[in-house]
Amino acid sequence: MRLLPRFRDRWLLRRIPPASSVRLNQRRIFIMPTSVGLAFMVALLLMLLTAINYQNSLAYGLTFLLGSLYLVTILHTWRNLAGLVLQAGGTTAAFVGEQALLRVRLESRGRAYQAVALGWPASGLRLVDVPAGGTVEVELSLATSRRGWLRPGRVRVESRFPLGLLVAWSWIDLELAALVYPQPSIAERPQGDSAPETEDEGTLARGAGVDDYQGLRAWQPGDPRRRLHWKAYSRGQGLLVKDFASLLGNDPMLDFDGFEGDTEQRLSMLCHWVVELSEKQQPFALRLPAGVLGPDSGESHRDACLRALALHGLDEERGV
Amino acid sequence: MSAKPGIPRNSLIWLLVAQVLVILPHLTHLPVWIIGLWLGCASWRVQIFRMRARYPRSWLKALLMIGAGFGVYFSRGSLVGLEAGVVLLIAAFILKLVEMSTRRDALVLIFLGFFAVVTSYLFEDSLLAGLYSLLPVTALLAAMIGLQQSSLVTRPWPTVRLAGSLLLQAVPLMLVLFLFFPRLPPLWSLPQAADRGVTGLADHMAPGDIARLGRSAELAFRVSFEGEIPSRDQLYWRAVTFERFDGRRWSQSYASHLPQAPEWQAVGEPLGYSVVMQPSGQPWLFALDVAQVAPGQAQLMTDFHLQRRQPVNQPLMYQVTSWLDARREAVSAPESLGRALQLPERGNPRSRAWAAELRRTAQEPQAMVDALLKHFNRQPYHYTLEPPPVGDDIVDDFLFETRSGFCAHYAGAMTFVLRAAGIPARVVAGYQGGELNPAGNYLSVHQFDAHAWVEYWVAERGWVSVDPTFQVAPERVEQGLEQALARERSFLADQPMSLLRYRDIGWVNALRLRWDSLNYGWQRWVLNYQGEQQAQALQRWFGKLDGQALGLALVAVLALLTAVLALVLFKPWRRETDPQQRLFKRFEQLLGRHGVRRNRGEGARSFADRAAIMLPEQAPAILAFVRLYETQRYAEQAAVADDLSRALRQLRRALPWRFPRPRERS
Repeated sequence: MRLLPRFRDRWLLRRIPPASSVRLNQRRIFIMPTSVGLAFMVALLLMLLTAINYQNSLAYGLTFLLGSLYLVTILHTWRNLAGLVLQAGGTTAAFVGEQALLRVRLESRGRAYQAVALGWPASGLRLVDVPAGGTVEVELSLATSRRGWLRPGRVRVESRFPLGLLVAWSWIDLELAALVYPQPSIAERPQGDSAPETEDEGTLARGAGVDDYQGLRAWQPGDPRRRLHWKAYSRGQGLLVKDFASLLGNDPMLDFDGFEGDTEQRLSMLCHWVVELSEKQQPFALRLPAGVLGPDSGESHRDACLRALALHGLDEERGV
Repeated sequence: MSAKPGIPRNSLIWLLVAQVLVILPHLTHLPVWIIGLWLGCASWRVQIFRMRARYPRSWLKALLMIGAGFGVYFSRGSLVGLEAGVVLLIAAFILKLVEMSTRRDALVLIFLGFFAVVTSYLFEDSLLAGLYSLLPVTALLAAMIGLQQSSLVTRPWPTVRLAGSLLLQAVPLMLVLFLFFPRLPPLWSLPQAADRGVTGLADHMAPGDIARLGRSAELAFRVSFEGEIPSRDQLYWRAVTFERFDGRRWSQSYASHLPQAPEWQAVGEPLGYSVVMQPSGQPWLFALDVAQVAPGQAQLMTDFHLQRRQPVNQPLMYQVTSWLDARREAVSAPESLGRALQLPERGNPRSRAWAAELRRTAQEPQAMVDALLKHFNRQPYHYTLEPPPVGDDIVDDFLFETRSGFCAHYAGAMTFVLRAAGIPARVVAGYQGGELNPAGNYLSVHQFDAHAWVEYWVAERGWVSVDPTFQVAPERVEQGLEQALARERSFLADQPMSLLRYRDIGWVNALRLRWDSLNYGWQRWVLNYQGEQQAQALQRWFGKLDGQALGLALVAVLALLTAVLALVLFKPWRRETDPQQRLFKRFEQLLGRHGVRRNRGEGARSFADRAAIMLPEQAPAILAFVRLYETQRYAEQAAVADDLSRALRQLRRALPWRFPRPRERS
């Protein structure tokens, strides 16, 4: 039974090709009665039976009026999507397990659109109104389960306005994609590795925080005994270690090969350290089988590293 | 969207409004406690909305349901039947209001509301009722729109405006459906609304009965003649005959229920007309003698009245052909005459003696009748709606003591005397005359036109009609009841609100006649647009249509109307009408398919330059098109759309037929 959805996808691909901006038109909008609409038809049938059995012209009249209303509502429901322009907005990257945010802009080039629902049925649709001639941005969130590019595929856009009797919808592929980083997992950084000396001495000298006392943190197996904070221990505060930034005097090197575990575990650990070191604004380098990044510090370095981790070993590495 | 979305304020407001509007027309046939129930439930619901009260617990809901059931049983004596059913429906409609907490409940309530509007038509289907019902329907639709989650529907007025415009747009389609949708005969018989407050002739007549009708201004029926309207003294609308007299009241004999056609001969020109009668709750139809209607609609009974199988419980339209001068039962069956001679054993001795005395002086039946009529004419008899009370011998007391009475008194007394003298006679009850409506050229016959007269049998001539009231109050026949009672001022004394009382005021009367004509048109064209009427009307307008052609016509006209509506809604002519712009848009789309999309605000020239860089092989064609476009658009060169479209065609040919994969990664 996988055949049907695949057939549908191929059909949709031909009918509504992916694009970063899509204007909904008659080729792209489908319409069907909702369950409310079906209940309404049953009610109409009951009214018709009453009209027939009592030979009552007014009952016929009201039945026909409401039946015609149903037909008119088809046009109105359909019109409430027709001409709407959807554009892909920016996306926000997330770590595995977090919600990725994808933005879609809805633009009206004419009248207003009421109660347009947008999203993926699995994660729930968001309702928005688009003012006449205006633009609305919708932020869609999507759960993440694995690293790499999250391509949610076609977005469902639907409307039941004005009576809820019918639903007009479309599946559009806005080529939305969000980057999902590996889930950070805490691990001890292997000692003794440091970034290779670069010609740019200034960068290394800028490691101003060398031997700077950063604070205390809980002891973990593998922490050097030399740095245990005995005074705190004697006060009964448990085992604490004195944490020093750039203790080694060199920028640390986060080496894929230096960690243990399978690829995903290593990526997770690396991810943790990339975040950790970036927060301390400490320069670091990242070595992956594909190459070395850095040493460097700052937002863009962090993002580049996380991106490399997210896409490690995936054939989509080039990105979108 | 949560699993059980609540009901928005706006929808609740419109639901409450709709409920009032739906229930109002039902009030005439609902027990009083329903109003109390509604007030209680509505205020409870408002308190729930304001978070001052909670939803009822299930035991309370069950208790309310059972209570409502008992209420219906005690006030209607049953839980089945139309009256009880409607009360139950309304009670459910009201109780659901309190229980309603989700959108789904609200929808159930709205559908119940639509159905309650339909049932209200079974009790009242006048033009006014039909127009009124648009109000609750609009309010119910507004409530339905209000259930949508949109910023528009948080405001009551735009919501109801949208509901109204949706309804208006549905009207043309509705008219087409109404005209063409085939009318089926009832699939199964249903209890009818008996509680319509029907007034009219009953199947028996005590002396005061018709006088009571004389006070009612209600409409009995309306008649449209095919040719000229006969003179007023010919308009004796027969309903029933009373052949049995028990000393106090006259009633129908068992024989008048026998479906046995009497013998009669047509004489003179037939008279064609159609009657639309109001519900009478009785099975007989009104017609002039001797009447013929379409078989199946009614049957001519042995006493010449028309009878249907079922009582007339809703307005009924029928075509009649009458022969006013027909000879009826010139050779009569002995049993028929025997019934027309029946008298009680005893009572009214003076009348019997007087009859015998008259019979001695007048041998021929005709002479006897003439003598009686002369007696009513000469003696001081008085025509009144308020006759003085009489004792046990009602005929004696009327003829010799009080000498004042209504048509029923005169007809009853005359029949009694004729029978006592051995002449077969019977009382005929029906209506006499009618009001001409010049606005629609038809007659309206009201309950106060109810009348009773006499027919007696003479060998070879058959049954002959005679009206003793004419001898006492000829203006009753010539002008109508109002003139006959001009001195008494008792005409419609009980109905101060009736517009008929203000006939003297010219514009009021004109307005009343116009309104009546409108209602008559409504009845003829709308209410009676069923089966036969529909087939006739469609045939008149479109010639012969069979079922298949009818279905096709219905679909075609519906499609056409929907298309027109779609045009009005979508306004495609508002799109690009400028040919150059249209071609430029096609140019843009063409390049867009090849991955070059024009940015917002990007000019034609810079867009084309960019495209030329991205599609170097087609650059000449692209630039050629844009150059031509620019010169036509901005250099005031004579616009030749052909050139431009040729340039576009060339570009299309220059572009590869297969375009690259749409998904391009940067």
